[in-house]
Amino acid sequence: MGFSVTELYKKYGEKVVVDHLSFEMKEPGVYALLGTNGAGKTTSIRMILNMLAKDGGTVEWNGGPLTLQTCNVGYLAEERGLYPKSTLMDQLMYFATLRGVPRAEAKQRIQYWGERLDATEYLFPPQEGRKPPKPKKADQLSKGNQQKIQLLLSLLSDPELLILDEPLSGLDPVNTDIFKSVIHEEIEKGKYLIMSSHQMATIEEFCTDLTILNRSKTVLQGNLAEIKKGYGRINLFIKAEQELRPMIEQAGITILSSVGFSYQCRVTGDAQANALLHDLVQREIPLVAFELREPSLHEIFVEKVGETHEEQ
Amino acid sequence: MKNSNLRGVGTVFRYTVQQHYKNTSVKVFLLILFVLAVASLPAIAFASGGKSEVTETKITQLYLRNECGFPLDEKDVHSDKIYAQVKIKPTEQDDKALAKTLDEEKTAAAAVITLNNEKMQFHIKTTYGQDGEITSSDAAALNGVLEEALHKALLRSLSVTEAQEATVRSTAVSQVSKISDFLRGAEEVGTDTHVFANMFYCYLIIMLTSLSMGYIFQLCMEEKVSKLVESLLVSVTPLALLTGKILAVTVFIFGGAAVIAVGFVISYFAAQQFFSLDTIRAVLEKMLSFKLSALHISAGTILLLLVCVLLAYAMCASLSGIVGSCCSKTEDTQQASLVVVMFIMIGYMAGALAPMFESDGVNLFCSLFPLTSIFSAFPNFVCGKIGLPVFLLALLLQAAAVVLLARTAGKVYQMMLLYRGNVPKPKQLFAMLKEQRAAAKAAAGKEDTHGAE
Repeated sequence: MGFSVTELYKKYGEKVVVDHLSFEMKEPGVYALLGTNGAGKTTSIRMILNMLAKDGGTVEWNGGPLTLQTCNVGYLAEERGLYPKSTLMDQLMYFATLRGVPRAEAKQRIQYWGERLDATEYLFPPQEGRKPPKPKKADQLSKGNQQKIQLLLSLLSDPELLILDEPLSGLDPVNTDIFKSVIHEEIEKGKYLIMSSHQMATIEEFCTDLTILNRSKTVLQGNLAEIKKGYGRINLFIKAEQELRPMIEQAGITILSSVGFSYQCRVTGDAQANALLHDLVQREIPLVAFELREPSLHEIFVEKVGETHEEQ
Repeated sequence: MKNSNLRGVGTVFRYTVQQHYKNTSVKVFLLILFVLAVASLPAIAFASGGKSEVTETKITQLYLRNECGFPLDEKDVHSDKIYAQVKIKPTEQDDKALAKTLDEEKTAAAAVITLNNEKMQFHIKTTYGQDGEITSSDAAALNGVLEEALHKALLRSLSVTEAQEATVRSTAVSQVSKISDFLRGAEEVGTDTHVFANMFYCYLIIMLTSLSMGYIFQLCMEEKVSKLVESLLVSVTPLALLTGKILAVTVFIFGGAAVIAVGFVISYFAAQQFFSLDTIRAVLEKMLSFKLSALHISAGTILLLLVCVLLAYAMCASLSGIVGSCCSKTEDTQQASLVVVMFIMIGYMAGALAPMFESDGVNLFCSLFPLTSIFSAFPNFVCGKIGLPVFLLALLLQAAAVVLLARTAGKVYQMMLLYRGNVPKPKQLFAMLKEQRAAAKAAAGKEDTHGAE
């Protein structure tokens, strides 16, 4: 059961753009598809949704091929837009009808998501004086507000599988928080989500499993927590009120960067960090911070992508 | 073709039509077309001096200054029911005195009949007061009655009997035909009429196709330009999207044509109230070197015309669909439209010029080759240049070409929806189609394997 992609392959002429991508989601949650620009994320998503012909591989939903008929998909594409000269309500109702949502139900959902996304004033413009309210058109909205309507479009059919390609790009902090809360709501409802983003911190906030692509190839895949565990706690942050560089170097620890008396270091493991801490305490050096932690997704991504670049 | 591939056609169609007719400029355009159509026949009749169809007259008194030497019989004027009550008063007043009389008497008219002996030409000048109640058409109708009365006066002066008059007035209907048509009793359509029929039909098709081309280009690119295409493709297949859009354009085009047709019907009845349509027809036939009576027109011809126009439209719409799908931005359409225009012009030129060759072979080729057939088959059939079996074969070939082009349009649209770049050259397009086909085959193979498992 669930969602799976097996050996997905695509080439343009002689250039391979997606090289045997496989992953699966056995249960609801968020799967992250990460990669550098041109790594093949959007092409993979387009093949998953049958928009682009596959040169190989299969995409399955609940054991059968994923099609418009077998899976209710919501998709917020990276390249997004709206009909500029049509009213927002016309467009939303059009999409709802295409997805087979009854009119009354569609209106309720538009009302609900309009409120959740703080877009009611555009969808249901208030009456000005005696004149009847004038419906808003897409070209009257800012980019961020258009993005809200686009997210609303992808949620209208109450999808089982929601694919969000760079959902937060270009949003201000307030709208970012609104989008995040909507994503959390969908996760809580038990939906399958696939997210693609360059914003690693955001992905880390939501995802359980991930694939990192670089130049069409999978360079890292698995459960985020396990991947991090595999790396161990190797990042050490120390802040003091005096120079510590000689003591850190004496302990065989690599200093990655330093600002004033703050140091970002790389340790081999807990023992090396503990030895340094013991030494600093014995020397009675006052410490402001001493934090040993796992690498962030950003660091893992940069490291993995960097490795493959060096190999090539 | 799976039915599921066409799911959503109705929704796309309805939305596209609704959005089109919500546009104010479209409403204004249709209104202008309608008004022009309604005004057309009365305007033509008026401009061509169409005789008025007068049913009553305001003229009560006619001052007649007959200087030609052939006296008119009052009975001949009164034999016309409309002018039966008009009092005819012979006068010798000069022009100035007549003008004064007509100024004073609002329901009086005057007629001056003269003869130019050198040219042996009679002149009948009927005039009426500037601020009176008499209309131009009323005076023109009276003039016609006086002309007839003068004609009778001339015959009387020669002591022509009624039987002799009937013989003199008898008309001749001329007819030229091939022996096959002669045996059928049918009239041969002259080159002038054939050329006119072809030209007229070609203009009709050109109008429909060039209008639809713009719409189809615009609709094919709409989602690409508004960057909405990917969001749409999780709801509807490209084939359903294209089909819905082309059906909507069909409604725009034929809706517009219906508005014009209704306008013409109204125009016909409106013109009938004021003008003699026989006169208009005669003027038009003379002006355009065209003989309507020679065309093979029956009740079924209208139905055939509709079928032919639909096929021609479908062929050009599919062609526009293929070319329009290759465009990613508005600038591309200028270059791409040339391709469609070139195809249409080839067909048009062949259709319009073929009758001038007066060759059965050329007519047959133009009627059967689909590209020229959409312009030539119908007029050739109506003009009797091709028989029913050839005409039906031509329609069959056109239908086959439409199916082929429509399927190709669907594939190209699907393939090019996510394409961003310059308009591909035909060679590139064929290579892409080939690649797409291979990928589809590979995918189908995988699905079969999957099903077997």
